[in-house]
Amino acid sequence: MNAPVVAHDRKGPAPHARPGTTAAGAAPSSGAAHASLPMAQAINAGLRAAMTRDESVILMGEDIGPLGGVFRVTDGLQRDFGADRVRDTPLAESGIVGTAIGMALAGYRPVVEIQFDGFIFPAFNQITTQLAKLTYRSQGDVRVPVVIRVPYGGDIGAIEHHSESPEALFAHTAGLRVVTPSTSADAFTMIQQAIASPDPVLFFEPKARYWSRGEIPATVDLTPDGVVAGLSRARTVQHGTDVTLAGYGPTVATLTKAAAAAAEDGISAEVLDLRSISPLDFDAVIESVRRTGRLVVAHEAAEYYGPGAELAARVAEACFYDLEAPVLRVGGFHTPYPANRHEHDHLPNLDRILDAIDRSLDY
Amino acid sequence: MRKEFRLPDPGEGLTDADVVTWLVAVGDTVTVNQPVVEIETAKSLVELPSPWDGTVAALLVAEGANVQVGDPILAVEVADDAATGDAGSALVGGEAAGGAGEGESGGSVLVGYGSRQADPGRRRLRPRGVDAEGPATSSPAAVVPLAPAPQPAASAPQPADAAPAYDPDDPRVRAKPPVRKLARDLGIDLTALRGSGPGGIITRGDVLAYSNAAKPDTYAGYPGDEPWLTGGVVSPDGRRTRVPVRSVRRRTAEAMVSSAFTAPHVTVFATVDVTRTMELLARLKTDREFKDIHLTPLLFAMKALLIAVRRHPEINASWDDETQEIVYKHYINLGVAASTPRGLVVPNIKDAHRISLKELAQGLADLTAAARANKTTPADMSDGTITVTNVGVFGIDTGTPILNPGEAAILAFGAIRQMPWVVDGQVVPRHVTQLALSMDHRLVDGELGSRVLGDVARIMEDPAQAMVWS
Amino acid sequence: MTETETLQLLTPAGERIAPNPAVAHPATPEQIAAYAAELTLSDLRAAYRNMVRTRAFDREATSLQRQGELGLWVPSLGQEAAQVGSALAIPAADMIYPSYREHGVAEVRGLDLREIIPVFRGTRHGGWDPKAHNFHLYTFVIGAHTLHAVGHAMGLQQDRRRGIVDTADAVVVYFGDGATSQGDANEALVFASSAEAPVLFFLQNNHWAISVPTERQSRFPLANRADGFGIPHLRVDGNDVVACYAATRYALDHIAAGHGPFYIEAETYRMGAHTTSDDPTRYRTREEEAHWLARDPIARLRALLEADGVEPEFFAGVEAEGRELGASVRAFTRANTAGDFTEVFDHVYASPNAQVERERAAWDAYLSRGESR
Repeated sequence: MNAPVVAHDRKGPAPHARPGTTAAGAAPSSGAAHASLPMAQAINAGLRAAMTRDESVILMGEDIGPLGGVFRVTDGLQRDFGADRVRDTPLAESGIVGTAIGMALAGYRPVVEIQFDGFIFPAFNQITTQLAKLTYRSQGDVRVPVVIRVPYGGDIGAIEHHSESPEALFAHTAGLRVVTPSTSADAFTMIQQAIASPDPVLFFEPKARYWSRGEIPATVDLTPDGVVAGLSRARTVQHGTDVTLAGYGPTVATLTKAAAAAAEDGISAEVLDLRSISPLDFDAVIESVRRTGRLVVAHEAAEYYGPGAELAARVAEACFYDLEAPVLRVGGFHTPYPANRHEHDHLPNLDRILDAIDRSLDY
Repeated sequence: MRKEFRLPDPGEGLTDADVVTWLVAVGDTVTVNQPVVEIETAKSLVELPSPWDGTVAALLVAEGANVQVGDPILAVEVADDAATGDAGSALVGGEAAGGAGEGESGGSVLVGYGSRQADPGRRRLRPRGVDAEGPATSSPAAVVPLAPAPQPAASAPQPADAAPAYDPDDPRVRAKPPVRKLARDLGIDLTALRGSGPGGIITRGDVLAYSNAAKPDTYAGYPGDEPWLTGGVVSPDGRRTRVPVRSVRRRTAEAMVSSAFTAPHVTVFATVDVTRTMELLARLKTDREFKDIHLTPLLFAMKALLIAVRRHPEINASWDDETQEIVYKHYINLGVAASTPRGLVVPNIKDAHRISLKELAQGLADLTAAARANKTTPADMSDGTITVTNVGVFGIDTGTPILNPGEAAILAFGAIRQMPWVVDGQVVPRHVTQLALSMDHRLVDGELGSRVLGDVARIMEDPAQAMVWS
Repeated sequence: MTETETLQLLTPAGERIAPNPAVAHPATPEQIAAYAAELTLSDLRAAYRNMVRTRAFDREATSLQRQGELGLWVPSLGQEAAQVGSALAIPAADMIYPSYREHGVAEVRGLDLREIIPVFRGTRHGGWDPKAHNFHLYTFVIGAHTLHAVGHAMGLQQDRRRGIVDTADAVVVYFGDGATSQGDANEALVFASSAEAPVLFFLQNNHWAISVPTERQSRFPLANRADGFGIPHLRVDGNDVVACYAATRYALDHIAAGHGPFYIEAETYRMGAHTTSDDPTRYRTREEEAHWLARDPIARLRALLEADGVEPEFFAGVEAEGRELGASVRAFTRANTAGDFTEVFDHVYASPNAQVERERAAWDAYLSRGESR
């Protein structure tokens, strides 16, 4: 934006003098570019890089300042970028998202945190009626480049509302991008691409993987095409010939384990990390299923009306003559998320996935 | 000009209203927006204003009547030069695309659910029938690459899910689930069919035709004959069965054609007294070292050939027509033609020149077992340098074998029978066989081939000769 | 219905009066009078013209809806003073977030009023570029935009901190009495107060949220809510264009001085229905409507102007201009059509989206299947 402060003849206090361009000095070097980081720190590194690169990036959320976020994802950022750019908000999710929309309309790139998946619902109105629709409503005159970070998913022994997977509700809303990394590398890359995107992005962070380590890349493609591709494409985790296993977020690690277990029984499974829930990378899945003839989709969200249903319908249409078995889904049940002592069996665990593979191969 | 005011939808989806009170009469002058009638809807009592300046020509509906949205209720005689205003001014909203000025206003472009137009021509269903089973372009919705993305597959018009061209090597069967089930219920192996759908898709009709064709009551063979083919389509009169050429049969046919019609084949023959080989065979059968080894005369023919090739390495070669080179190989991968339930396969024993008789026997046993179990791999069959074919096992004396493609010679080993032979001037029964060597005359002249065959014959006639030649 | 004291500088009969000190608080009567005095006769004539044009536009649009040319219309009838008076006090650089009824504010901002038509005709959403006149699109989810305005104001604060000088001083958000009950409208006050954001909350209390009277939203004056959030407020007579102007000027100077948000409640009356789908005869009386007709904002300004010697030709001229505007709106509306169906796939996202492109192609394929026979 513009040049630094000059004399100002309005009534009222003089604005704070601040350097207008590069960030204040204390941002630690990202020399750890190849480091193996837990996902939470990979996201932190990604936020840091985005904030260093672009002064209009502002973080807002509950407890993200001195506390650094309940998962420490924003640890150290307020210290390094200041309380103007890393803001603790009042406890009101609708207000957080609504004011973020306003800041975006004023030219900023807000990245807000909803503290837990189960608490996103007060903001559901702002997200679906406003954030998703402002660009469309204005026929492109208005952009709202807001990123909403949401820790999601279960398997962490939490109480009610802290283990939800509401991504389908947002994927079903046109105008939103919905993405979720499964590795530190993708977390580091995709958070920066989400911030660079001109679209509103729901960035679902699998909290069960916050502490899983992985290498982060040295560079990130932030060209417009690179951002679109990075936020839209699936990734082949491993190739196989007998069945395609597709999932995202916390489930990718489970699918990889299932593939290894299946290999012991002579079954070669291909594993796809979808990475983007909206848009779904149908091309990648269809290409895979044309080779394997079988698809098992797994996600923590309920199977009933879940993202797997969309994938199954689309694959059934495009691969009708190639399918050796119907598309099978492994997901949560049509119940509220259970008490955590039961969550293991509610989630798509290794046994349930292997069972689905067996059923698929029985056809 | 007479214009008709049609009942608009006065409130978000209402379908009809009652006319309560006319506020004007025929002949009255009306100005635009002047209230002309009071109507009552399900929601409220509403006054409707005139869309035009003019004179009331007719009240088309009586007070108290119920009218549907879109029905004309009032006719107004309007001056012909009714101004259009500045309809065309530069504003967003697409006014340029619409009707000129006022045009058919006052009811023809009703919003919401009003204005019952005549039904626009309804889309007709496509006639079904001939191409019923084909997928056509049924679901281009399914896969269209992202148009502006940097990915290579970016040319949008080709739906990526269009059925690929028929690939006869593709072992996968492509069929809809109900067709698969039908086939399973009828006990039909779908791999035996060739589908008539696009891309080789097997249709329900294909399965039924195949199934009907296999019914025995139309079989035209001898009375009491049962169908003995496992695949194929029997003609309706039961007199012919058509079997698609697939996999092994097709590969064999291709190899034979490529070999027979590329390499000029010449075959030389030798009739050999192999009594001493048979004696050696009998002796080895009692030898402890060969206790668990299956020994056959073929083994000795193979060993004799290996020794002969070592003496005449020029025959262990192939003709590379593309590069106009002869490729001499310094190893012998000895192929053995094997007859299997699926057809002819020619696996080879790798580096047969370096192994002992016992190892050669083991190799032959393994190769035979694999072939019988249909487990011969492409690797087993590749890179052969010379081949033996045992026609003798069928009781045949000899033949003119066709070269295995890529090789320059092939030995046919015939049946061994007791025949009268002259030994030391006497006619005595001896074990006699015939050997035939076909050669690629581009690189193997008659002399070379004859010498090689002669050496094989010599060794089999006197195995001790191997000691001299090794 | 209760009538409570509001700041008034012009009686319904069109006579100037001095501000009541108790009601002018936190401003002083002198401050209010000084702001009021900024309005010259020329300014008042301009305000009159704006109000009459707004009403003419509104009347025409209402008629057009009754003729089936618009699916819906949201009348501003009766609220011209609150809208025009306040809007005249807002600098052009300040972003305004309207609800969906502020046609008078649009008029003052300089929008071509016909740009408001398409959304009600159903040919498109939105209708204008917010940046063209610093007038945001209409938001039909009640109260949702109050948070956007606060966020925008927080953005202005951040601009200031970064030393960006050519930034605006304030953001103004318009909303109604019904909206004050919405969670978002209250969260907006929380955030505005917490951040001391430079935002003016302008409440037009027109007494009715469709058929629900204000008393159902609150048992005490709505402006008092601002106190609970620590935000100063003024209650003005929303049918008094001079008072609305003065109060808004006061509020914006307060904000520009860095004192944080401000809240104005303008008491006015929704003389028309909530929308053309509404039937007020079902829930309010003719007596009440007559009571407010006597307080008509345009009539009282006309009375003032006439008393100040403005010539009849002026009024006739303004009426004529109103009729011309009506004709222009009529012609525009009747010619306004949507484009080809494929335009629904545009602008769903600001960057290329695989799913939208896939569906656009599917639509094209569907069309070509129809053509091939």
